[in-house]
Amino acid sequence: MSFKVFQINEEFLDVMPKEIVELQENATWGNPKRGVMDLPFHKELIEEHSLCAGCPEAAALRYIMASIPAPEDTVIVNSTGCTSLVFPHIAMHTIHSLFGNQNAVASGIKRVLEYRYPDRVKDVIVLAGDGATVDIGLDCTLQSFFRQEKITTICFDNEVYANTGGQESGMTPKGHVFKMAPKGKQFEKVPMWQLAIDSGCHYVARLTVSSPKRVESVIKKAVYVAREVGPTYIHLYTPCILEIGLNSDQGLEEMRSKDKERFEFFEYVSPQAQEVIEKRKAEGLL
Amino acid sequence: MYYVAEVINDECTKYKCNQCTLFCPEPNTLMYINSPNERHAYVATARCKGCALCVYVCSNLLKRNAIHMIMPEVHANV
Repeated sequence: MSFKVFQINEEFLDVMPKEIVELQENATWGNPKRGVMDLPFHKELIEEHSLCAGCPEAAALRYIMASIPAPEDTVIVNSTGCTSLVFPHIAMHTIHSLFGNQNAVASGIKRVLEYRYPDRVKDVIVLAGDGATVDIGLDCTLQSFFRQEKITTICFDNEVYANTGGQESGMTPKGHVFKMAPKGKQFEKVPMWQLAIDSGCHYVARLTVSSPKRVESVIKKAVYVAREVGPTYIHLYTPCILEIGLNSDQGLEEMRSKDKERFEFFEYVSPQAQEVIEKRKAEGLL
Repeated sequence: MYYVAEVINDECTKYKCNQCTLFCPEPNTLMYINSPNERHAYVATARCKGCALCVYVCSNLLKRNAIHMIMPEVHANV
């Protein structure tokens, strides 16, 4: 595992698609200071995706892929959901788990990587929706926190099962009505960020993806803390514009409005995590 | 057939904000050229899905009006 696996044999350079050649020549490999400000000028690790036009989740994935400190040494574990449509197009190691067991799979991968590469840092990041993280996979998610697995978990919260027609999820706010939930949600939204803190996560953040630089900051903090201390959790609001009846150009406006409401930026840092963050700041990596 | 984004180079050149390139949900689609002769955003038309989020950022948020939606020639002739 290194960025060399993406290097093209010189004899095949003239027959390779230009997108693959650009990935070798103009992507941001091997630079721990890479970030969202590289996006306008460099080849991205996501080649393309089949998510809807204007999907906020797609923007979130761009920011995350641009912010991971060492993509060549990172394994992403994902689960069933809209994000599944993106991972086949990413120039990184990705594994699609069963619906809900993504944190268990990630735990195993992290342990094997530590055993196989004792002298190299390997990051394992879970990317899953609110259904996989909180409803179907809550036991696997929390158990990985209890066990202090050194992995980062990122939850894309669109507050609904969007790609199956609009059923309510545990993250749906009380009273919300969707196409397949006509009576409205009867219970409160699960405060997953608080559960993560109570379950032993050392760094927890809740935010929308309306600010690319803020997303970059929390992703880097979460990955660095997970490397050295223990589990970290990021809760991102990525609304499904189709399910809540918005036009393709209204996703950003929706997130900006929720920045002042139930997704106001929230960050929890344990004392051990704070030490790591201060150290990385001193190194110029945050 | 759908509209796609087009950068108005003369308007975009007046600023150096890059903001539209950050908020586009599509990868490798709304990029920025920053050479001694040219300095503006540009759209890879074949990749644009026409969400118009860049127009919202440029016109509604930043009041710069340097991007508009057009019917690309490849679609207009169908």
